[in-house]
Amino acid sequence: MSDTVHQVQQALATQQYIATDVIATVLFLAEKLGKPLLAEGPAGVGKTELSKAWAAATNRELVRLQCYEGLDESKALYEWEYAKQMLYTQLLRDKLSDLLASTHSLTEAADQLAQEEDVFFSERFLLPRPLLRAISSDTPTVLLIDEIDRADAEFEAFLLEVLSDFQVSIPEIGTITAKQRPVVFLTSNNTRELSEALKRRCLYIYIDYPDTEEELRIVQLKVPDLAPKLAQQAVQTVQALRQLNLKKNPSISETLDWARALVTLNAQAIDSQVLENTLTVLLKYEADVERARRAMQRQQGDNGYGRTYR
Amino acid sequence: MEERIARFIAGLRASGVRVSIAESQDAWRAISHLGIQDREAFRLSLRSTLVKDASSIPVFDDLFTQYFGQAPPPLLDPQAELTPEQQQMLQNMVQQMLDQLGSNVQQLLDWLLNGQNPTQDELDALADQAGMNDMPSLSRWEAEQIARRMQRMLGWDWLQEVLDNLWEALAEQGMDPHTIEQLKEQVAQNQERLQEQIGEYAGQHMRDNRVENAQRQKPINDLMQRPFGSLNQTDMERLRQEVRRLAARLRSRAALRQKRGKQGKLDPKSTIRANLRYNGVPFDVRYRERRLKPKLVTILDVSTSMRPVAEFFLRLLYELQDQIQKTRSFAFIDHLEDVTPDLLTTQIDEAITVVLTKLPSGYYNTDLGYSLRQFETAYLDTVDSRTTVVVLGDGRNNYNDPGLEVLSTINRRARRLIWMNPEHPAQWGTGDSDMLSYAPNCSEVYQVCNLAQLEQAIDRILL
Repeated sequence: MSDTVHQVQQALATQQYIATDVIATVLFLAEKLGKPLLAEGPAGVGKTELSKAWAAATNRELVRLQCYEGLDESKALYEWEYAKQMLYTQLLRDKLSDLLASTHSLTEAADQLAQEEDVFFSERFLLPRPLLRAISSDTPTVLLIDEIDRADAEFEAFLLEVLSDFQVSIPEIGTITAKQRPVVFLTSNNTRELSEALKRRCLYIYIDYPDTEEELRIVQLKVPDLAPKLAQQAVQTVQALRQLNLKKNPSISETLDWARALVTLNAQAIDSQVLENTLTVLLKYEADVERARRAMQRQQGDNGYGRTYR
Repeated sequence: MEERIARFIAGLRASGVRVSIAESQDAWRAISHLGIQDREAFRLSLRSTLVKDASSIPVFDDLFTQYFGQAPPPLLDPQAELTPEQQQMLQNMVQQMLDQLGSNVQQLLDWLLNGQNPTQDELDALADQAGMNDMPSLSRWEAEQIARRMQRMLGWDWLQEVLDNLWEALAEQGMDPHTIEQLKEQVAQNQERLQEQIGEYAGQHMRDNRVENAQRQKPINDLMQRPFGSLNQTDMERLRQEVRRLAARLRSRAALRQKRGKQGKLDPKSTIRANLRYNGVPFDVRYRERRLKPKLVTILDVSTSMRPVAEFFLRLLYELQDQIQKTRSFAFIDHLEDVTPDLLTTQIDEAITVVLTKLPSGYYNTDLGYSLRQFETAYLDTVDSRTTVVVLGDGRNNYNDPGLEVLSTINRRARRLIWMNPEHPAQWGTGDSDMLSYAPNCSEVYQVCNLAQLEQAIDRILL
């Protein structure tokens, strides 16, 4: 790996994020090309964490937009503070009457009022939402658009405009162009296919579950209290669980939770007793727990029904 | 190198990965930042810019090794370290041996002993002799065959014998054993390298071939207009890949409708209620939101003639899941099966096989009337006033009781009843077709004999 990519890796390491060569390289490219980075992969492999770490490593503010079904422009971009506008007109009613008192005809009054109209459609009454905040910020930001696959296709189309030019037009005010181009991260759990137009504008990275070695490094970094031998065992168990074709595979964050649980319980080894007690930290479906339990018992020479055939 | 990258992108496109011009531009820019020295960085800069789909990554990796494998090294010059006299001696001996043997291996010996790389023209001529140009398209295995045949054309099989003779003769002539050993080794290396070069030549040809073939394929629009029955396996495969893009098109159309449906409809009731706390001053304006996502009940005929239609129907529906509130699916031939749970898996290919094998085709009597009655007794509660019911079938009932009253019951209960029939309207009512009696009991009837028609019909479901 070249030095520059190495620097990215080291910067992330200072934030306790272990980046593979793949992640570091693609992140470097995203930064250089000024393109959004689309990270896909199963839940809980550190996609969101990556953007947080990068924001902290580069000393930028993190602006987060969490997507959900029904998210629309007014929640993502900006909104007029209708209530505030209303309140101001009510409070300023006297002032307005004074202003209009000198006029003689209705047209004149309307003209007079039109001159002041801008007051009510100025940035004072603009409620910036994440996208506008990231764009209009004076300092460089990291914009995280989380779980874009949950938003509607309609919203995706709207995002395209923002992501390609980094500018938004507000009819009453005009076009706001980014002073500092934010670094954009998009994450997706792959629950639906994103539009090709959106993908075309992004660099793509698929983050999968880490292999044993990487995961062990992560566990040791984040839960240093866990004895090395136990950590090794724990990671191997989790890796084995992921092979089981479960409804929901244990994610890295769940591995870490489990590791912490092991520390708290002061476990000496991962035996069936400990597993029995803590398996629910890793697995969130009853069917999964059942399946895992049976697989573990099979490994220990038991067929899971209380008898052995040997 | 540049040409090779361009070829690589063409190769990706030929293998079904969609790469736009903008993306290939990104790839060039990425390479300009990371260079091509570091192979891994180079691979990643190409991958992150060109591939936007996890399922295409294996294709990319496979092609990458094919296009950017180690370039075969050039041949060594075994005579570089020989004295002029020794060179002369070698030339003479080779000439003598060739005179004895005929000129079969002459070219090969020239290359190996002089360290002269074969030119493109020479390779072309050789490949032509080996019959490469007679083949319309090369598989990887065929490419290897061609490479082997090219070697044989050069007299590779004789080579070892000739060389052994040569070394012996040189030793007799009094060349010192050390030099001969050196020569031997270098020629052996050259042999390997030449083999690689020929292999690479054939591989290159295979890849170009694939790109050309892909470009020559029938445009997808033609395929979409062709009836399902007349498609062969490859066509079907291409259409399957097309389904996802079709679905995207349908989805954006539906999304647009949703947006329009939401615009500008004031909800007075909700607004008044929300603003009671502001003393009735409308601070908080509420708009009416129409739920336009349909609830769906589908009843599919999966008898032999209907299978392709049913497959593509399921595929499209699967891709459009997010546009539909809830789906219940039933399949029938002579009786009805609830296949909803089978379609809930993440892998559509698997799901379709499961559904189609649940009711294996064979000598069945398609009995729509019975299946409908079964539906009425067991599942009628799935249909309510917000449900769109879709029946996919040809309406051919083997002269069984058509079960018209059931269909009209369903029609009355449902929001809409849409019938999709792959047969041309002119054929309806002929033979055992009950379509003409079914049709008046449906709110809409569509002919869906090809993918284009199916797309339009499904767009109507999402309405």
